[in-house]
Amino acid sequence: MRREEIIANTEAIVREAKALGADEAIANTVIGSYRQIRFSNDRIDIGLSWRDYSTSVMISWRRRVALTEIKDFRDAPGALRRLIGLAKISRENPGYGGVAKGRFEYAGPMADGAIERIEDPSEYIEEAIGAAKREAGEGAETGGILFTKYERVFLCSSEGPEGWDERSAIELSIRAFSQRDASGHGVECSNSLRDFDPARAGRKAGEIAKLAANPRAGRAGVYDVVLDPLFFGSLMGVYGSMGSAFHAMTRMSIFSDKLGERVAPDIVTIRDDPRSCSINCRAFDDEGVPVRETVFIERGILRTFFHNTSTAKAFGTETTGHAGIIVPMPWNLSMDPGDFGRDEMLEELRGGLYLTNTWYTRFHNYATGDFSTIPRDGIFLVEGGEVRESWKGIRVSDNALRILSSISAISKERQRVHWWLEADPPSLSPYVLIKGVRITEPD
Amino acid sequence: MGPVVRLDGDIAEYCLECAMAMGADYAEVRALDRREEEIILRNGELDAYAIAFDSGFSVRVLADGGLGFASSNRWTREEARSIAEEAHRLARASGRMEHIEFSEEGAVEAEWGVKQRRRIEDVHPEEKISALLEVDEEIVSQGANVISRALICETELLEGYFVNSEGSRIRSFVPRVGFVASGITIFESGRMEQIPFKEYGQSGGWEVLEGWGLGADLAREVRAMKRLIEEGKEIRPGRMDLVCGPEVVGIACHESCGHPMEADRILGREMSQAGRSFIHSEGPFWIGARIGSELVTIVDDPTIEGSYGYYLYDDEGVKARRRYLYKNGVINEFLHNRETAARMGTRSNGSARSMNYDREPIVRMANTYLLPGDMTEEEIFEDIERGVYMRSFAEWNIDDVRFNQRYVGREAYLIEGGELGAPVARPIIETTTRAFWMAVDAVSREVEFQAATCGKGDPMQGAPVFHGGPMIRLRGVRIR
Repeated sequence: MRREEIIANTEAIVREAKALGADEAIANTVIGSYRQIRFSNDRIDIGLSWRDYSTSVMISWRRRVALTEIKDFRDAPGALRRLIGLAKISRENPGYGGVAKGRFEYAGPMADGAIERIEDPSEYIEEAIGAAKREAGEGAETGGILFTKYERVFLCSSEGPEGWDERSAIELSIRAFSQRDASGHGVECSNSLRDFDPARAGRKAGEIAKLAANPRAGRAGVYDVVLDPLFFGSLMGVYGSMGSAFHAMTRMSIFSDKLGERVAPDIVTIRDDPRSCSINCRAFDDEGVPVRETVFIERGILRTFFHNTSTAKAFGTETTGHAGIIVPMPWNLSMDPGDFGRDEMLEELRGGLYLTNTWYTRFHNYATGDFSTIPRDGIFLVEGGEVRESWKGIRVSDNALRILSSISAISKERQRVHWWLEADPPSLSPYVLIKGVRITEPD
Repeated sequence: MGPVVRLDGDIAEYCLECAMAMGADYAEVRALDRREEEIILRNGELDAYAIAFDSGFSVRVLADGGLGFASSNRWTREEARSIAEEAHRLARASGRMEHIEFSEEGAVEAEWGVKQRRRIEDVHPEEKISALLEVDEEIVSQGANVISRALICETELLEGYFVNSEGSRIRSFVPRVGFVASGITIFESGRMEQIPFKEYGQSGGWEVLEGWGLGADLAREVRAMKRLIEEGKEIRPGRMDLVCGPEVVGIACHESCGHPMEADRILGREMSQAGRSFIHSEGPFWIGARIGSELVTIVDDPTIEGSYGYYLYDDEGVKARRRYLYKNGVINEFLHNRETAARMGTRSNGSARSMNYDREPIVRMANTYLLPGDMTEEEIFEDIERGVYMRSFAEWNIDDVRFNQRYVGREAYLIEGGELGAPVARPIIETTTRAFWMAVDAVSREVEFQAATCGKGDPMQGAPVFHGGPMIRLRGVRIR
């Protein structure tokens, strides 16, 4: 579909919604093409491709909000009539604060057209597998995914915002097994091919897998722990999600009553930076507000929640450009670098642990922050920078606020990480040293 | 909901023809028309009413030993040909030395569906909103200080058409209703307790939601949390007997039996995301190995009418049936799709599911539960000197080979001298699959199910499932 056609059809939806009586209307059209190659046991299992033509529509009428997705512009008139009808019989939400108003200037798209033009993405997989095997040995097994996307986006709001964006992403996730219970995981993710290095992900997966060989059962206790960027990226995703104003309001957050308070030591600054080279890179949010850097936690102090216009109004502040019409969310988190090198941090450990990855983070109380998560891939007992043992079968069973407040060192080097739903949203994540982490083991 | 049905069998057939004309060894086309509604209530206010209409089709092709998949939501012949070409190209590009094959399955011509006693599309939106507001009102009127909650009601109508190059033609219709309560938080006497998530779901019409007694059920949960704050005791850690209610039994069945018995996981196809399995051909756990006591028989059965995971033919056109995963404590039968069945030299048992037209079918559970035993609930409790009854769980997780797991009780009580006592604050069991199931020495007669959304696949495919079972007793497990 041509750009002019996308723009004209999207604008027509907003005009039609207004003509039918909507107070506000936003139409956000995404024409996306996505590819994925999945591989396991060093072989490609399947190549997938999907195309999606979709317009998300939001309307409000007297503080009643109705949403829909239109997959075919020919359906638009009927869908809009139903939507207006729905809003009119819906209930007023006294807390609804409207959507962004006014015209905005946007930075240009940061998409890399080369991603869309890749002929054979499987070359990147071969590169990553080769690198992993060079580190972990030819007998190592690998599996993972390579994903690419290219989206053309046009947003039009009756309240003024109107903008064109193009969004691209390429992502590789590879897990290498030197033995059945000895594995490592590496990821690469970017909005551009320019700094995308599949071999780097393969090397990291292979190195950790090799080091993880012959693991023994871990021992419960309280340990100082160095978290790899992949592991800390998962936790940053949790903290970022809890930074959503929606989650603060529904107490699915440890931060609900902590605005302006200290939640971490001085060395901790976490930002959301949607314009960095992230797979979530964009020019504007779902209301058409230009995205910008937002300081979430500044030198240990919780500075803001992530807002859309409506949640911002409820908190007496301005939108931070993180709509989601209903649930605002961070786009791309980053933690400011510290002074330590990775090796220096590992040298700090005296019988501490280096944890390279985690999954299945679950809370039994999101408001208080009591949770557990299961380290996977390399788990190493470290003494003065030397790996003494490879472990398996442990769990971090602690409290999310306590973990955040116990960060005692942050590395200079940072890595862009994202994988599956575990390290999500994407982040620029350092190595982090945390004091006194509670480790448990099964009976 | 509007009558936007675009599911076009002719285009699906044309797409299949194109794929086969290009030289595919096998091809299938799945078309789906999906109509959804979502109502979001936050702290008693209606945040939004969302409706969505989606309709599209995908083609999966076996060619030169490789597998390719492509989809689109544009219903044109040009698009059908284009995605057939794309799938074919992707299959050939995989360059596999060891060819992928599918198990031999017969061609099927069938039509199946789920009846709605009250058609979802006939229930006025105002009535749906009112139903949620009434639930919310019950939650906040229990004399407890409820400081937050989010309630979400989702309905979907799925009309499907499956056609493959072996002659199968299957039409289906599945309506579903789901409901999630999250973040119900009670603050009393300086203490905060929370019901993080509680999910309800079934296939059927609006009558299923009316039958859940949502308001009464969630009100009971709120009162239990209030009582926990007021009377809850910390457990003195140690070995004791544990009685698990159906909700806890269900999650254990799902996580430590259903998932590790997925053949794609066992073969390594999910190795980088959802992980592998402790069950593998070189290890101590394989078909025939003991994993639990004689009382442990866990099945997965898609054919339970009204269940959240209901289907009669899977998304590869294979007839669904009950699978005995662990039988009398022994590893018995894996969950298979056609690809894993061929690799293991067997037949598919109808476990391929896809959550939309644009997602590949992969091995999934449907309704996983422990079969009932012969004890009454009273008999289960009566000879426990000291123990814990874990009625429901708040937090849980399991490692990526599905062996090391943890369940934290949400609503739990002390058992002393065979009698239920005071509420226990968040008792924890951290155990292994074998230790958990080997400790079972009593199983009650009544099975209850819990709805859940199972996560697997990349991109994630959240599959509606039931899990459940009767009440069980575990002897001498460590609780802290």
